[in-house]
Amino acid sequence: MPTSFFGWITFLIQKYWPLFLSGAANTLLIAVVGTAAGFAIGLLVAIVRTLNLRRGASLVKRAALALTRGLLTAYIEIFRGTPMIVQAMVAYYGASQYLGLNIPAMSAAFLVVSVNTGAYMAEIVRGGILSIDRGQTEAAIAVGMSHWQMMTGVILPQAIRNILPSVANEFVVNIKDSSVLNVISVTEVFFMSKSAAGTYYKYFEVFFITAVIYFILTFTFTRLLRLLESKLSGSASYTVYGSQTDHRAEIELRREP
Amino acid sequence: MSTPRAVQPAQPILRVEGLVKRFGDNSVLTGIDLTVAAGQAVCIIGPSGSGKSTLLRCINLLELPDEGRVLFQGQDVLGLPPGLLHARVGMVFQQFNLFNNLSALNNCVAGQVKVLRRSRADSVRRAMLYLDRVGMLPYRDARPAQLSGGQKQRVAIARALCMEPQVLLFDEPTSALDPEMVDEVLSVIRTLKDSGLTLLIVTHEMAFARDAADRVVFMDAGRVVEDDVPSRLFTAPRNPRTRAFLARMMRG
Repeated sequence: MPTSFFGWITFLIQKYWPLFLSGAANTLLIAVVGTAAGFAIGLLVAIVRTLNLRRGASLVKRAALALTRGLLTAYIEIFRGTPMIVQAMVAYYGASQYLGLNIPAMSAAFLVVSVNTGAYMAEIVRGGILSIDRGQTEAAIAVGMSHWQMMTGVILPQAIRNILPSVANEFVVNIKDSSVLNVISVTEVFFMSKSAAGTYYKYFEVFFITAVIYFILTFTFTRLLRLLESKLSGSASYTVYGSQTDHRAEIELRREP
Repeated sequence: MSTPRAVQPAQPILRVEGLVKRFGDNSVLTGIDLTVAAGQAVCIIGPSGSGKSTLLRCINLLELPDEGRVLFQGQDVLGLPPGLLHARVGMVFQQFNLFNNLSALNNCVAGQVKVLRRSRADSVRRAMLYLDRVGMLPYRDARPAQLSGGQKQRVAIARALCMEPQVLLFDEPTSALDPEMVDEVLSVIRTLKDSGLTLLIVTHEMAFARDAADRVVFMDAGRVVEDDVPSRLFTAPRNPRTRAFLARMMRG
């Protein structure tokens, strides 16, 4: 048996690297799927919540929209207002006890993280939509676009660019917070670490390794997302057409870094 | 290509009847009656807050009127399908309101493809035509952020023309422009008048209203105070409020 701290670290990595690796892979998978699905949910919810009925819409339509809005608001408030660890317990055990469904732990993980993230994303996307000046909305209405056409063609492409830092933030949160899913036996990296630590009672050493793994995951992906962000915001310089009469008169401007 | 023309030039294309609009306790329009014949160019002038912009915005239903109605070719605009109304009655805004994520060309293409369901090729062809007409064809690939105010407004006019409307509403099209860019936009609007499009122009450019309009409407405190041909309205206004306003404008 090793005697020093680093001796234990080396020993544990050699013995349990497949556990750490598959745990890290599952953590990453849950974070990617949960963030992507949550983003899609957030977009849809925000599109519906910003819908304004045309004048003269029937009473049925109005009632349906009001009901949908109420449900969406309830969804957002409930999922932002309860801890994900509790949501996981309720969904997992509720499904097995009352619906007779034995969902695989990984599927439950995808579901819980997606729906939870969706609630936050809905608010983030709404903020992004509000960041686009009202004039573009009016211009879209004035050429006759429908709400959907305006959102997908004009507003969301700009809004998404503005909210990308917040979306990246959600992704990092998901890498870390998926650890709570160990309570429903999802084999993500925290769960795997607990199993590895139990054998030799080396909790400090094992979770030191776990911390490093989490940090590598989050740091790598924040860098990657930063790269994507700068790509989406276009080149660092652009051309302004300086002359009113001659389009060949160009001025190059550099964006502030 | 010619801009669509109404069959009978003298028939009213637009009729506003008893229009009232309130924002909370504030009555912005207090009973507007106005008839516009097809092909007419009407300038609407008046002090700030007199309800000029609100009147335009009620015509294409960016604002919902509280009372009264707006008829387009005899039909209540509230009963028209929104796509149809907005294709026939276009609007140009004070702040241009170009779609910032799209190039000048695609600003002109988007509405045609999405609303009029024209093919992409056909839409591009028309977009080029109208961009050329406003002198912006060489800038078709530029993003709005790369253009000056006057250039943006000319693209915005091309975007409205691409829908081939019968009425075009201008909401202070030059008020947000630097003085040296005002003329380029006004001269574009003048060419539209010659093409037979019906124009409703809210403006503070008195010289333009005098030269280019068939009719000038003076609004104050939510009403039409005076409505006349420019030669009379500018030289011999009958209403004292019109006189006071014009005196202020001419001094400035």
